[in-house]
Amino acid sequence: MRYWIGLVLLAACTRTGANSGNLVVVDDAGDTVRFAHPARRVVSLIPATTEILFAIGDGAVLVGRTHWCDYPAQAASVPDVGDGISPNLEAVMARKPDLVVMYRSGSNAAAAEQLRGLGVPTLQFSVDRLVDVPRVARALGKVTGRQASADSLTAVFIRRLNQVSVPRDSTPLRILIVSWDQPPMAIGAGSFLSEMVTRAGGVNIFQDLSAPSAQISIEAVVERNPDALLVSVDGPPAIASRPEWRTVPAVREQHFIHVTSSAFSRPSPRAPDAILELVARFKELRP
Amino acid sequence: MKRGGLAVLIAAGCLLAGMLAGAVPLTPVALWRGVVDPSAPSAEIIRNLRLPRVFLAFLVGGSLGVCGAALQALVRNPLAEPYLLGLSGGAGLGAVVAIGLKLASSWAVPIAAFAGALAAVALVYRLSQVEGRRLDPRVLLLAGVVVGAFATALMSAIIVLSDAVQLRNVFLWLLGGLSRSSWEALGIFLFYAIIPLTLLFLSARSLDLLVLGEETAHHLGSNVERTRVIIYLTTALLTAAGVATCGIIGFVGLVVPHAVRRIWGPLHRTMLPFTFLVSGCFLVLADAVARTIVRPAELPVGIVTALIGVPVFALLLRRTLA
Repeated sequence: MRYWIGLVLLAACTRTGANSGNLVVVDDAGDTVRFAHPARRVVSLIPATTEILFAIGDGAVLVGRTHWCDYPAQAASVPDVGDGISPNLEAVMARKPDLVVMYRSGSNAAAAEQLRGLGVPTLQFSVDRLVDVPRVARALGKVTGRQASADSLTAVFIRRLNQVSVPRDSTPLRILIVSWDQPPMAIGAGSFLSEMVTRAGGVNIFQDLSAPSAQISIEAVVERNPDALLVSVDGPPAIASRPEWRTVPAVREQHFIHVTSSAFSRPSPRAPDAILELVARFKELRP
Repeated sequence: MKRGGLAVLIAAGCLLAGMLAGAVPLTPVALWRGVVDPSAPSAEIIRNLRLPRVFLAFLVGGSLGVCGAALQALVRNPLAEPYLLGLSGGAGLGAVVAIGLKLASSWAVPIAAFAGALAAVALVYRLSQVEGRRLDPRVLLLAGVVVGAFATALMSAIIVLSDAVQLRNVFLWLLGGLSRSSWEALGIFLFYAIIPLTLLFLSARSLDLLVLGEETAHHLGSNVERTRVIIYLTTALLTAAGVATCGIIGFVGLVVPHAVRRIWGPLHRTMLPFTFLVSGCFLVLADAVARTIVRPAELPVGIVTALIGVPVFALLLRRTLA
């Protein structure tokens, strides 16, 4: 009899074990992370995932965010734990999270290991391109028990991206996407900004750079002769007054497209709106 | 001035090569058309980017080389050089502070850099003077490296902590690069460099005497103290002007004076002008490599000079300490 009770108990335990493994997510680093229950206390160390968590829920699961999470406005009321790359683990642990979401990078891999060692499930995501948004949204929906909202967010996101229509008859605007002025740096094909420009009917003149961003030669800019410069800096860019930049005709003619919204600084659910804004700005510049 | 004509010819060739190479490769004919005809294709690139950049590289390289030669004579150590003696680090710190506090226009940054370079050199000199003992060149070098590292740490701290938008990518500029070349930048550099360069060339004889040792120089009628002050001030100002316009470019003043001494002998009257010529060409060619090797992207030129300079430094170090 005692033997039978033992066996039943063992079976029960096994079943609980199987249940706890129900929620399984493989993150972008290829690590398999199991959850006993949907995450209720999430520290989001990527501004884009903070946006996604607000978009698929009401952000109620968030107990920590980075210093740079500025959207939506309600994010301000979530405690700030500092930087998202090389995060302050003590500040993260102080929030008693049951899930930490972090950017996948060389310097973050060790931090993820440490957090898992401390018993905190940790997911690493590459959020660099538009295509990353639906994938990460679905994964976050799954672990926070918001699968239905994540699915509808994803569907809307993809539908709106595909709905952007650009005038096909005119020649596309040739755009230099400036990431810095001294030394001159440009956005290459590896960045979502380049995708957004393309989707808005423009051409990134440094499409041949595979890196997201690289130092480039001004001579190459003059030779490729962009129609306009897409500048996403906080203050007024000093480019217009720099003598070496004034060799670029579009700079002398002040063909600048300033974008200040953080929708242009990270791939997020807001990307379709940002692309529509670009479409409108490109239209103004077309002759 | 033996082999002088040949050197000038080779230098002209280097300048020409520097003008032809770049993100947009040019033929000599296209270059000439761009120079004489403002409406020619690539005229904008040639007149306002390529030419000022090659001339600036030549002048900055030449100045750094002459600084290295003078410092080597002063401390009687073949390893002395603005970068290794901490001058460049001090100048960079001065520039970063000025930019971070938004104190300086591009015409005034060299002054802040000059203050930083002077402070660094004073500190290095003080650290390397051990009570009651002669200046040990090895201690001097260590002091230079330590002060340079400290200046770099302070710069990094300012860059990380400052909210100033201007400082965000300063670390790239600190790797040294000629990407901000323009006629205006060339003017700024010349404005600050012309007087110290003249003074250094005029000090050739005092430098010859200094190499013999300070006491000997004194007995031979040289005003050692005055020479020393002149060299510290001029090399600090030249380094500052270079750092303020092109960031920290190391090792130019180390590699070239050695080669020049072997070919043209140690007398500074001949050695200094040739050092200027060859160092100028060295930086022009290093910059041509930096501009073309990852076209259309660009490398900071300080990386190229360090890749060449560090092995040379290792060789010299072995020979000096042997």
